[in-house]
Amino acid sequence: MPRLSKIAIAVLAVLAFAALLTFPSLLRTVLGLRRADRSAEQARRAIVPPISTPSDTREKAQLFWLSPTSPDTLEATTVELDLSADAEKRAKQLITALIEKTPSQTQRTLPADAVLLQFYLMPDGTGIADFSETLETEAPSGILNEEMAVDSIVRTLGANLSNVYRLKILIRGQEADTLAGHLDLSGFFNVTPQAQAQPAATGGATGEQPLAANPSNASPSPEQQPAIRN
Amino acid sequence: MTLTVVLDPAHGGADFGARGPTGLAESDVVLDFARAARIALEAQRLRVLLTREGNQDPTFDARSAMINGLANAIFISLHVSSSGPLGTARTYYYVFPSNVTPAVNPTAGAPPQTARAQASGAQPTRTSLIQWDEAQRSSVDSSRQLAFLVQTVLVQRFKDSPDAPIAAPVRQLRTIAAPAIAIELSSIDVTDAKRLDQMAQPLAEAIGRAVAEFHPLGASTTTPSGAH
Repeated sequence: MPRLSKIAIAVLAVLAFAALLTFPSLLRTVLGLRRADRSAEQARRAIVPPISTPSDTREKAQLFWLSPTSPDTLEATTVELDLSADAEKRAKQLITALIEKTPSQTQRTLPADAVLLQFYLMPDGTGIADFSETLETEAPSGILNEEMAVDSIVRTLGANLSNVYRLKILIRGQEADTLAGHLDLSGFFNVTPQAQAQPAATGGATGEQPLAANPSNASPSPEQQPAIRN
Repeated sequence: MTLTVVLDPAHGGADFGARGPTGLAESDVVLDFARAARIALEAQRLRVLLTREGNQDPTFDARSAMINGLANAIFISLHVSSSGPLGTARTYYYVFPSNVTPAVNPTAGAPPQTARAQASGAQPTRTSLIQWDEAQRSSVDSSRQLAFLVQTVLVQRFKDSPDAPIAAPVRQLRTIAAPAIAIELSSIDVTDAKRLDQMAQPLAEAIGRAVAEFHPLGASTTTPSGAH
């Protein structure tokens, strides 16, 4: 065998040995990355500091997620949160908790990757929630699913804020046609602050209410009231 | 004049809609539903149109345009949800979110006052033009009536479904100047496609029976303006 061939074989053998030595750590790194499975949105959220203000106090808040026993209804869950006295920041803390503190995957109403970019509160009681585009792209498709997503936001705001009367949802600062292909985002969603809600209309803490009020001059008769889902 | 029923199998083309664990696409399932419903409706000598016959994806406005030029027609959009109790069905009719600007009294926390001038939902007269973007305003009451009829029949065939229809701003319905509803069945989250196939016939029968009983509150012959 020529001398050059022997040298080449020796070099290749050394390289193969080195590869064998480094392979386990490389494998561990790849598996670790896969386990982390963090999207860009989650990574972005990780470096965003938690929303906190000097006026934060530990409070019990009612958050609305899907019922574990009835996936087409929402159920109120009491969660302890640091909440601001400032209504805009309080709303942001609440919606962020709605995304991040979901008790289980089956109860989730908003995509895990969704980020509330900003919440504005107008003097007339209109809240404007500006979400990342993942709300639109990652939300499960379907009228029921999208209805539950918006309803969970609306009812969480209503249960924990007294001065938000309607909600507008934006995606990256722009008005979107639909949430995920079904629910119309061109208008406002009515919010009923809990303190002012009529018990008969809401069915208590876990009762259902329609997403939006009917026009005042087209109100249905009592027997034709919009569905109060069971 | 013969009633025309426009059946709208949602999604299509690159828009599959909801996807099942085995790759089952909502767009295919609802097309089968629409074909079954067409047979049931044509048996009643009704004229039936589908917004898509194959795997196309007409826009919301293109689907609306199919019915907005017709007199004496109703629109039924068919969907399958991503999740929800299997074997249940829900009927939706459009509800316009309030255009009323709330007047907040920060000291008393008073509920919002309504401004009559801004109150929405007025039924236009037969001669008025209808805004394309809010064409459904002309038919909210008839749509609600149709939705109640359909849900009443559906709940007999799909146990555990809600007793009454649901008011929700479903985008497709907003631009339709005729009685319009959406029906959504649960759910695409099945491993055996036969479970959804089995829903096609009872759904078709329910639609056929409800449509036979439906008598619109008042037919509008106006054509929406400002189509885009």
